[in-house]
Amino acid sequence: MESRSPSIACIGIIGRHNNPLHISLLPVTGQDGQPNQERNRLEYTFMLNSSLDIFEARMPSKTVGHDFGLLHALDEPIALYGWLTNTGVKLIIVVDMGGRTAQTAEAGKTAILGLRTSDLTPAFQALQTAYIRLLRNPFYVPDDHDPRTTKLRGSLEITSSRFIKEVERIGRTWYPGITAI
Amino acid sequence: MASSSKAARLGEEVWKSRVDKINAEVLTLTYGTIVAQLCRDLTLPATANKTDYAAVNAELDRMGYNIGLRLIEDFLAKSNTGTCSSFRETAEVISKVGFKMFLNVVPQVTNWQGVEGKPQAFGLVFEENPLAEFVEYPDDGRAQDELWYSNILCGVIRGALEMVQMQIEAHFVTDVLRGNDTTEMRVTLVRYIEDEMPPDDE
Repeated sequence: MESRSPSIACIGIIGRHNNPLHISLLPVTGQDGQPNQERNRLEYTFMLNSSLDIFEARMPSKTVGHDFGLLHALDEPIALYGWLTNTGVKLIIVVDMGGRTAQTAEAGKTAILGLRTSDLTPAFQALQTAYIRLLRNPFYVPDDHDPRTTKLRGSLEITSSRFIKEVERIGRTWYPGITAI
Repeated sequence: MASSSKAARLGEEVWKSRVDKINAEVLTLTYGTIVAQLCRDLTLPATANKTDYAAVNAELDRMGYNIGLRLIEDFLAKSNTGTCSSFRETAEVISKVGFKMFLNVVPQVTNWQGVEGKPQAFGLVFEENPLAEFVEYPDDGRAQDELWYSNILCGVIRGALEMVQMQIEAHFVTDVLRGNDTTEMRVTLVRYIEDEMPPDDE
């Protein structure tokens, strides 16, 4: 039986008023690194939704930094990590502890030992960089932070293909211990 | 070519000592907002939402023309270049001194066409375009084929050269934002403008 190691299952970007801006799902990969099982979108949407309450709950007390670390461990093997930016945009990464085949023996052990929060920092930083890049595109209209205008304008989901590809690349190339994506 | 290296040195020297500089991100974001706003304001006659990209291109060219008329004075004062002896030299000065001074990029002069006396044209290939960093065209299917994002530069060159008695025509032929490999602008000399007497003058 091959040993498994953690991989990112889903990346969610939620706007200031808890409106989803983008959700990326990454499949479970099998023996040869090829995806062999798709994930259920609805299930992951619910998970992201439930993690929003944790942001609310911890908001007053978290004065320093923006890394919320481990939000919630949902019956192994799923764990959710979150990062709040100063503008209220939340970046959430869902990690599947058995999401891919272990490349090396040490990687296989991580699945048993668990992840450190700092393992995900490079992924969050890369996500933040991608989001900033997206904001610099003059044709992208950013989230207005006001629910009334949102009702008038409709969904503000991110449609930029470059951003979506970058998010998927971050999700695919991350592994525990990576220093920079 | 001797004149091109002289121009290159002049451009470098003017850039280092005689120009004020601003943050490149401020310029990129400001220009981006202008183009995005034009796309929102100029719509096709019968519709409310579909951008008229031809009108946006024309407007950017017009804006560039007005900038060029004024910019040439500043350029001549700071760089102290004399009159160019040929169109070829004009091209070198534009690319190595002009663009270097104002945008800190040096486009390559390529694809020369014609000799003295016959219509002359050259191409300017931009390896990097500070106006268009991080820009992605909107996804409405038509922007890819119709919008020239940096069209203001064509207007600038047209306006500037008109003030030194050259009538030229400039337009973009390829653009990396559209998916091509390079960004190239073609500049064609139409004629040298002689001082003309006003009509009805005795």
